[in-house]
Amino acid sequence: MTGLEPRLKALMVAGLAGDAAAYARLLAELGGYLRAHFRRKLGAGSADVEDLVQETLIAVHIKRAVYDRGQPFTPWAYAIARYKLLDHYRKAGARHHVPLDEVAELFANENPEEGAVRRDVDTLLSRLPARQQRLMRDVKLTGFSMEEAAARGGMSVSAAKVSVHRGMKRLESEVGDEDR
Amino acid sequence: MKTAELISALAADVSPVKPEAVMGRMAGASILGAIVTGVVLVAWLGLRPLGDAVQTSAFWMKAGYTLALAVAGFLLACRLARPGGRVGFVLLIALLAVVPMVVLSAIELARAGPGGMRPLWMGDSASVCSLRILALSIPVYLGAIVVLRRLAPTRLAIAGAAAGLLAGGVGASVYGLYCEETAATFVVTWYTLGIAASSALGALVGARALRW
Repeated sequence: MTGLEPRLKALMVAGLAGDAAAYARLLAELGGYLRAHFRRKLGAGSADVEDLVQETLIAVHIKRAVYDRGQPFTPWAYAIARYKLLDHYRKAGARHHVPLDEVAELFANENPEEGAVRRDVDTLLSRLPARQQRLMRDVKLTGFSMEEAAARGGMSVSAAKVSVHRGMKRLESEVGDEDR
Repeated sequence: MKTAELISALAADVSPVKPEAVMGRMAGASILGAIVTGVVLVAWLGLRPLGDAVQTSAFWMKAGYTLALAVAGFLLACRLARPGGRVGFVLLIALLAVVPMVVLSAIELARAGPGGMRPLWMGDSASVCSLRILALSIPVYLGAIVVLRRLAPTRLAIAGAAAGLLAGGVGASVYGLYCEETAATFVVTWYTLGIAASSALGALVGARALRW
């Protein structure tokens, strides 16, 4: 959870200012959390999960002018997801209680498979020098562009490209060694 | 449509957006609704002689009470107009408005003694007061619902109740321009009942009318 709120909020604020790339990244990341959340609520096999993800993303989009930039983003997104879920239950003719205060639950990463993969990736990355590690995380996991990641790391774009490329090679060879 | 396609479609649609001025919109709807309510009152019941009325403390006691409830409803409706909006401290305003009225009523009743209590409570218009306030709450309620639908309430019944409290408070304030009852006991009973009915009805209607 830490760092997620300021990051998503920054993407939202940039999106509201007209930054399409930041906005697309926000919706993509939010979509991932929503999918995992609705799967937990409805069951992984439910055909309604993807519909709800899309409905919530559309609602976030349509109502984005109602977002108050002085307020945190994650509770706002959770309230919309909760509303869409309740709406779904209502249409299905069932009454359910959905807690008001489960922001952390929406943005939790409880998917066991993803958790395991993330741990593997962490182990692998930890073998790289700290600077390269951070660069790889920014580019390959967080989704920063090469330019942004280079700026964050205080290096030139070409140096960043080379570093990421070498890092990938090294990880590939390490994974290869382990498989052999 | 795949979610990834949806996301690119939505992201292609971003132009800079101006944040919604929630309070400004709600204030506009309230003022417009209050004017309509005033016109309805004049056409329906007329006004009491206001020149004399404004010199009495009873007039201001009533106006202060009903306007305080309207303000509480206004602030609540503004908060609940956004996803994740909380009720929070605002209910305290409503409580702070009710407590002095109850105290005034208790003092009044104690002074009147057993024989004089009934007129303080029933006045001359107890049978119609609450229903008239409920009727006069309709214009502001409609305005508040239109504004809320444009925004994004996620707790519809509570947002509807807030709109009803706002509308009831304004309706009762406007009704005070006609009603000549002066007893705090009367006001805290029948005015409060009218405003409470407006809130309850507001919650019922809002739960459906506010869906988006």
